[in-house]
Amino acid sequence: MNLILLLVLVVAAGAVLSVQAAINGRLGQTVGVLRSSLLTFVVGAISTGLLILFFEPTHTVSLLDVPKWQLTGALFGVVYMMVMVGAVPIVGTAVATVAVIVGQLGMGMLIDNFGWLGNPAIELSGSRIVAMLCLALALVFMYRSSTRTD
Amino acid sequence: MQASALDGVGAASAKPRTVLRLLLLPLVIFAGMGLSVEAGLLGPLGVQVGHLWATLSIFGVGSAILFLLLLFSGRQKGPALTDLPRWQLIGGFLGPMYVVVLTLATPHIGIAMTMIAILSGQVGKSVLIDHFGWFGTARKRVNAERWIALALIMVALVLIARG
Repeated sequence: MNLILLLVLVVAAGAVLSVQAAINGRLGQTVGVLRSSLLTFVVGAISTGLLILFFEPTHTVSLLDVPKWQLTGALFGVVYMMVMVGAVPIVGTAVATVAVIVGQLGMGMLIDNFGWLGNPAIELSGSRIVAMLCLALALVFMYRSSTRTD
Repeated sequence: MQASALDGVGAASAKPRTVLRLLLLPLVIFAGMGLSVEAGLLGPLGVQVGHLWATLSIFGVGSAILFLLLLFSGRQKGPALTDLPRWQLIGGFLGPMYVVVLTLATPHIGIAMTMIAILSGQVGKSVLIDHFGWFGTARKRVNAERWIALALIMVALVLIARG
Protein backbone atom coordinates (compact mmCIF):
# COMPACT_ATOMS: atom_id res chain seq x y z
CA MET A 1 0.00 0.00 0.00
CA ASN A 2 1.10 3.58 -0.72
CA LEU A 3 3.11 4.82 2.28
CA ILE A 4 1.95 8.46 2.14
CA LEU A 5 -1.68 7.36 1.81
CA LEU A 6 -1.25 5.10 4.83
CA LEU A 7 0.26 7.95 6.88
CA VAL A 8 -2.61 10.30 5.97
CA LEU A 9 -5.02 7.52 6.97
CA VAL A 10 -3.34 7.15 10.38
CA VAL A 11 -3.38 10.93 11.02
CA ALA A 12 -7.09 10.91 10.17
CA ALA A 13 -7.59 7.99 12.59
CA GLY A 14 -5.97 10.07 15.34
CA ALA A 15 -8.32 12.97 14.58
CA VAL A 16 -11.29 10.58 14.58
CA LEU A 17 -10.19 9.27 17.98
CA SER A 18 -10.39 12.73 19.57
CA VAL A 19 -13.76 13.38 17.91
CA GLN A 20 -14.97 10.15 19.49
CA ALA A 21 -13.63 11.20 22.89
CA ALA A 22 -15.56 14.48 22.67
CA ILE A 23 -18.83 12.83 21.57
CA ASN A 24 -18.60 10.10 24.21
CA GLY A 25 -17.75 12.59 26.97
CA ARG A 26 -20.99 14.41 26.20
CA LEU A 27 -22.99 11.18 25.89
CA GLY A 28 -21.59 9.82 29.17
CA GLN A 29 -22.76 12.94 30.99
CA THR A 30 -26.38 12.34 30.01
CA VAL A 31 -26.79 8.54 30.05
CA GLY A 32 -23.88 7.42 32.28
CA VAL A 33 -20.44 5.94 31.65
CA LEU A 34 -21.54 2.30 31.33
CA ARG A 35 -24.34 2.82 28.84
CA SER A 36 -22.36 5.16 26.58
CA SER A 37 -19.40 2.74 26.57
CA LEU A 38 -21.64 -0.26 25.86
CA LEU A 39 -23.26 1.62 22.98
CA THR A 40 -19.84 2.43 21.51
CA PHE A 41 -18.62 -1.17 21.76
CA VAL A 42 -21.84 -2.79 20.50
CA VAL A 43 -22.05 -0.45 17.49
CA GLY A 44 -18.33 -1.08 16.92
CA ALA A 45 -18.78 -4.87 17.07
CA ILE A 46 -21.81 -4.83 14.75
CA SER A 47 -20.20 -2.58 12.13
CA THR A 48 -16.96 -4.62 12.23
CA GLY A 49 -19.01 -7.83 11.91
CA LEU A 50 -20.72 -6.44 8.81
CA LEU A 51 -17.36 -5.49 7.29
CA ILE A 52 -16.03 -9.02 7.98
CA LEU A 53 -19.04 -10.67 6.31
CA PHE A 54 -18.60 -8.69 3.11
CA PHE A 55 -14.91 -7.79 2.82
CA GLU A 56 -12.63 -10.00 4.94
CA PRO A 57 -10.65 -12.69 3.05
CA THR A 58 -10.42 -16.13 4.74
CA HIS A 59 -7.46 -16.84 7.01
CA THR A 60 -5.99 -20.18 8.03
CA VAL A 61 -5.64 -19.02 11.65
CA SER A 62 -8.78 -17.93 13.55
CA LEU A 63 -9.24 -16.00 16.80
CA LEU A 64 -9.84 -19.33 18.57
CA ASP A 65 -6.39 -20.65 17.58
CA VAL A 66 -4.19 -17.83 18.92
CA PRO A 67 -2.89 -17.77 22.54
CA LYS A 68 -5.57 -16.35 24.87
CA TRP A 69 -3.41 -13.46 26.11
CA GLN A 70 -3.51 -12.00 22.60
CA LEU A 71 -7.26 -11.48 23.04
CA THR A 72 -6.97 -9.34 26.21
CA GLY A 73 -6.64 -6.05 24.26
CA ALA A 74 -10.34 -5.33 24.86
CA LEU A 75 -9.79 -5.14 28.63
CA PHE A 76 -7.47 -2.15 28.07
CA GLY A 77 -9.94 -0.68 25.60
CA VAL A 78 -12.82 -0.88 28.10
CA VAL A 79 -10.73 0.73 30.85
CA TYR A 80 -9.63 3.48 28.43
CA MET A 81 -13.17 4.14 27.25
CA MET A 82 -14.60 4.40 30.77
CA VAL A 83 -11.78 6.62 32.04
CA MET A 84 -12.15 8.96 29.04
CA VAL A 85 -15.93 9.19 29.32
CA GLY A 86 -15.55 10.05 32.99
CA ALA A 87 -12.58 12.40 32.68
CA VAL A 88 -13.20 14.43 29.48
CA PRO A 89 -16.10 16.53 30.90
CA ILE A 90 -13.97 17.42 33.94
CA VAL A 91 -10.46 18.01 32.55
CA GLY A 92 -11.34 18.93 28.92
CA THR A 93 -10.61 17.16 25.63
CA ALA A 94 -7.14 18.64 25.08
CA VAL A 95 -5.79 17.92 28.59
CA ALA A 96 -7.23 14.40 28.54
CA THR A 97 -5.71 13.80 25.10
CA VAL A 98 -2.24 14.96 26.16
CA ALA A 99 -2.41 12.84 29.34
CA VAL A 100 -3.31 9.83 27.18
CA ILE A 101 -0.38 10.67 24.90
CA VAL A 102 2.07 10.71 27.82
CA GLY A 103 0.87 7.28 28.96
CA GLN A 104 0.71 5.98 25.41
CA LEU A 105 4.22 7.05 24.43
CA GLY A 106 5.76 6.07 27.78
CA MET A 107 4.31 2.58 27.54
CA GLY A 108 5.01 2.47 23.78
CA MET A 109 8.69 3.15 24.45
CA LEU A 110 8.78 0.40 27.09
CA ILE A 111 7.17 -2.09 24.68
CA ASP A 112 9.56 -0.99 21.90
CA ASN A 113 12.63 -1.12 24.15
CA PHE A 114 12.00 -4.61 25.48
CA GLY A 115 10.15 -5.95 22.43
CA TRP A 116 7.19 -7.01 24.58
CA LEU A 117 4.06 -8.76 23.21
CA GLY A 118 5.87 -10.15 20.17
CA ASN A 119 6.85 -6.78 18.69
CA PRO A 120 10.33 -6.02 17.26
CA ALA A 121 12.65 -4.34 19.83
CA ILE A 122 13.67 -0.67 19.28
CA GLU A 123 16.20 0.65 21.81
CA LEU A 124 15.43 3.69 24.01
CA SER A 125 17.57 6.59 22.74
CA GLY A 126 18.45 10.03 24.16
CA SER A 127 16.14 11.82 21.74
CA ARG A 128 13.24 9.56 22.78
CA ILE A 129 13.76 10.54 26.44
CA VAL A 130 13.92 14.27 25.53
CA ALA A 131 10.71 13.82 23.50
CA MET A 132 9.02 12.30 26.55
CA LEU A 133 10.08 15.30 28.69
CA CYS A 134 8.69 17.70 26.04
CA LEU A 135 5.34 15.89 26.17
CA ALA A 136 5.26 16.01 29.97
CA LEU A 137 5.94 19.78 29.79
CA ALA A 138 3.21 20.16 27.16
CA LEU A 139 0.78 18.44 29.55
CA VAL A 140 1.64 20.98 32.27
CA PHE A 141 0.98 23.90 29.85
CA MET A 142 -2.30 22.37 28.65
CA TYR A 143 -3.42 21.79 32.23
CA ARG A 144 -2.56 25.36 33.31
CA SER A 145 -4.29 26.96 30.33
CA SER A 146 -7.48 24.96 30.90
CA THR A 147 -7.72 25.72 34.63
CA ARG A 148 -7.15 29.45 34.04
CA THR A 149 -9.84 29.98 31.38
CA ASP A 150 -12.59 28.24 33.42
CA MET B 1 -16.31 5.80 37.90
CA GLN B 2 -20.10 5.75 37.89
CA ALA B 3 -22.45 8.43 36.59
CA SER B 4 -23.45 9.20 40.17
CA ALA B 5 -19.85 10.18 40.98
CA LEU B 6 -19.96 12.75 38.19
CA ASP B 7 -23.29 14.26 39.26
CA GLY B 8 -21.77 16.12 42.21
CA VAL B 9 -19.10 17.75 40.05
CA GLY B 10 -21.23 20.64 38.80
CA ALA B 11 -22.28 21.64 42.33
CA ALA B 12 -18.77 21.34 43.82
CA SER B 13 -16.76 24.51 44.52
CA ALA B 14 -13.57 25.38 42.59
CA LYS B 15 -11.12 23.81 45.02
CA PRO B 16 -12.42 20.21 45.24
CA ARG B 17 -12.82 20.36 41.45
CA THR B 18 -9.10 21.11 41.07
CA VAL B 19 -8.26 18.22 43.39
CA LEU B 20 -10.53 15.96 41.34
CA ARG B 21 -8.75 17.04 38.15
CA LEU B 22 -5.32 16.27 39.61
CA LEU B 23 -6.56 12.89 40.80
CA LEU B 24 -7.99 12.14 37.35
CA LEU B 25 -4.79 12.93 35.44
CA PRO B 26 -2.77 9.85 36.56
CA LEU B 27 -5.83 7.73 35.79
CA VAL B 28 -6.01 9.14 32.24
CA ILE B 29 -2.24 8.59 31.78
CA PHE B 30 -2.74 4.99 32.94
CA ALA B 31 -5.56 4.61 30.40
CA GLY B 32 -3.18 5.86 27.71
CA MET B 33 -0.62 3.22 28.72
CA GLY B 34 -3.35 0.64 28.18
CA LEU B 35 -3.86 1.94 24.64
CA SER B 36 -0.23 1.20 23.78
CA VAL B 37 -0.55 -2.30 25.21
CA GLU B 38 -3.69 -2.74 23.12
CA ALA B 39 -1.85 -1.56 19.99
CA GLY B 40 1.06 -3.87 20.83
CA LEU B 41 -1.36 -6.80 21.07
CA LEU B 42 -3.34 -5.82 17.96
CA GLY B 43 -0.44 -5.60 15.48
CA PRO B 44 0.75 -9.24 15.75
CA LEU B 45 -2.86 -10.49 16.17
CA GLY B 46 -4.01 -8.70 12.99
CA VAL B 47 -1.18 -10.26 10.98
CA GLN B 48 -2.21 -13.75 12.18
CA VAL B 49 -6.03 -13.70 11.94
CA GLY B 50 -6.75 -10.61 9.77
CA HIS B 51 -7.23 -6.93 10.67
CA LEU B 52 -11.03 -6.99 10.88
CA TRP B 53 -11.09 -10.15 13.01
CA ALA B 54 -8.58 -8.56 15.39
CA THR B 55 -10.83 -5.48 15.55
CA LEU B 56 -13.88 -7.67 16.21
CA SER B 57 -12.06 -9.36 19.12
CA ILE B 58 -11.68 -5.91 20.71
CA PHE B 59 -15.27 -4.80 20.27
CA GLY B 60 -16.80 -8.24 20.84
CA VAL B 61 -15.03 -8.90 24.14
CA GLY B 62 -15.52 -5.25 25.15
CA SER B 63 -19.27 -5.43 24.47
CA ALA B 64 -19.60 -8.65 26.49
CA ILE B 65 -17.75 -7.21 29.51
CA LEU B 66 -19.69 -3.95 29.46
CA PHE B 67 -23.02 -5.74 29.04
CA LEU B 68 -22.29 -7.84 32.15
CA LEU B 69 -21.16 -4.75 34.09
CA LEU B 70 -24.34 -2.93 33.09
CA LEU B 71 -26.54 -5.94 33.92
CA PHE B 72 -25.20 -6.15 37.48
CA SER B 73 -25.01 -2.42 38.20
CA GLY B 74 -28.78 -1.92 38.37
CA ARG B 75 -30.98 0.81 36.94
CA GLN B 76 -29.16 3.62 35.14
CA LYS B 77 -30.02 7.29 35.55
CA GLY B 78 -30.75 9.59 32.63
CA PRO B 79 -32.81 9.31 29.44
CA ALA B 80 -33.05 6.18 27.28
CA LEU B 81 -30.50 5.93 24.44
CA THR B 82 -33.36 6.12 21.92
CA ASP B 83 -34.38 9.55 23.28
CA LEU B 84 -31.00 11.13 22.51
CA PRO B 85 -30.06 13.21 19.44
CA ARG B 86 -28.91 10.81 16.68
CA TRP B 87 -25.50 12.44 16.20
CA GLN B 88 -24.50 11.58 19.78
CA LEU B 89 -24.69 7.89 18.87
CA ILE B 90 -22.13 7.96 16.02
CA GLY B 91 -19.16 7.57 18.41
CA GLY B 92 -19.50 3.80 17.96
CA PHE B 93 -18.74 4.01 14.24
CA LEU B 94 -15.56 6.02 14.86
CA GLY B 95 -13.93 3.45 17.18
CA PRO B 96 -13.59 0.65 14.58
CA MET B 97 -12.00 3.10 12.11
CA TYR B 98 -9.20 3.76 14.59
CA VAL B 99 -8.68 0.09 15.48
CA VAL B 100 -8.72 -1.12 11.85
CA VAL B 101 -6.22 1.57 10.80
CA LEU B 102 -4.03 0.62 13.78
CA THR B 103 -3.82 -3.06 12.83
CA LEU B 104 -3.48 -2.14 9.15
CA ALA B 105 -0.66 0.38 9.55
CA THR B 106 1.72 -1.03 12.19
CA PRO B 107 3.10 -3.89 10.05
CA HIS B 108 3.79 -1.47 7.15
CA ILE B 109 5.15 1.71 8.81
CA GLY B 110 6.06 0.42 12.31
CA ILE B 111 4.65 1.25 15.75
CA ALA B 112 6.70 4.47 16.23
CA MET B 113 5.55 6.02 12.93
CA THR B 114 1.95 4.93 13.55
CA MET B 115 1.96 6.52 17.01
CA ILE B 116 3.45 9.77 15.69
CA ALA B 117 0.81 10.06 12.97
CA ILE B 118 -2.02 9.18 15.38
CA LEU B 119 -0.76 11.73 17.88
CA SER B 120 -0.52 14.62 15.43
CA GLY B 121 -4.10 13.93 14.36
CA GLN B 122 -5.28 13.69 17.98
CA VAL B 123 -3.61 16.85 19.24
CA GLY B 124 -4.51 19.03 16.26
CA LYS B 125 -8.13 17.92 16.32
CA SER B 126 -8.60 18.10 20.10
CA VAL B 127 -7.31 21.69 20.24
CA LEU B 128 -9.76 22.56 17.45
CA ILE B 129 -12.63 20.89 19.36
CA ASP B 130 -11.81 22.86 22.52
CA HIS B 131 -11.31 26.10 20.58
CA PHE B 132 -14.63 25.99 18.73
CA GLY B 133 -16.61 23.93 21.27
CA TRP B 134 -17.62 21.33 18.65
CA PHE B 135 -19.86 18.38 19.57
CA GLY B 136 -21.34 20.22 22.55
CA THR B 137 -18.15 20.40 24.64
CA ALA B 138 -17.24 23.51 26.66
CA ARG B 139 -15.55 26.15 24.49
CA LYS B 140 -11.96 27.01 25.48
CA ARG B 141 -9.93 29.67 23.71
CA VAL B 142 -6.52 28.59 22.39
CA ASN B 143 -4.28 30.89 24.45
CA ALA B 144 -0.49 31.34 24.46
CA GLU B 145 0.11 28.44 26.88
CA ARG B 146 -1.77 26.10 24.60
CA TRP B 147 0.27 27.16 21.58
CA ILE B 148 3.49 26.54 23.58
CA ALA B 149 2.13 23.10 24.45
CA LEU B 150 1.40 22.40 20.78
CA ALA B 151 4.92 23.54 19.82
CA LEU B 152 6.42 21.21 22.48
CA ILE B 153 4.37 18.31 21.10
CA MET B 154 5.64 19.07 17.59
CA VAL B 155 9.25 19.07 18.88
CA ALA B 156 8.60 15.73 20.58
CA LEU B 157 7.10 14.26 17.40
CA VAL B 158 10.08 15.38 15.29
CA LEU B 159 12.53 13.99 17.89
CA ILE B 160 10.83 10.59 17.87
CA ALA B 161 10.55 10.52 14.09
CA ARG B 162 14.31 11.19 13.76
CA GLY B 163 15.51 9.14 16.77
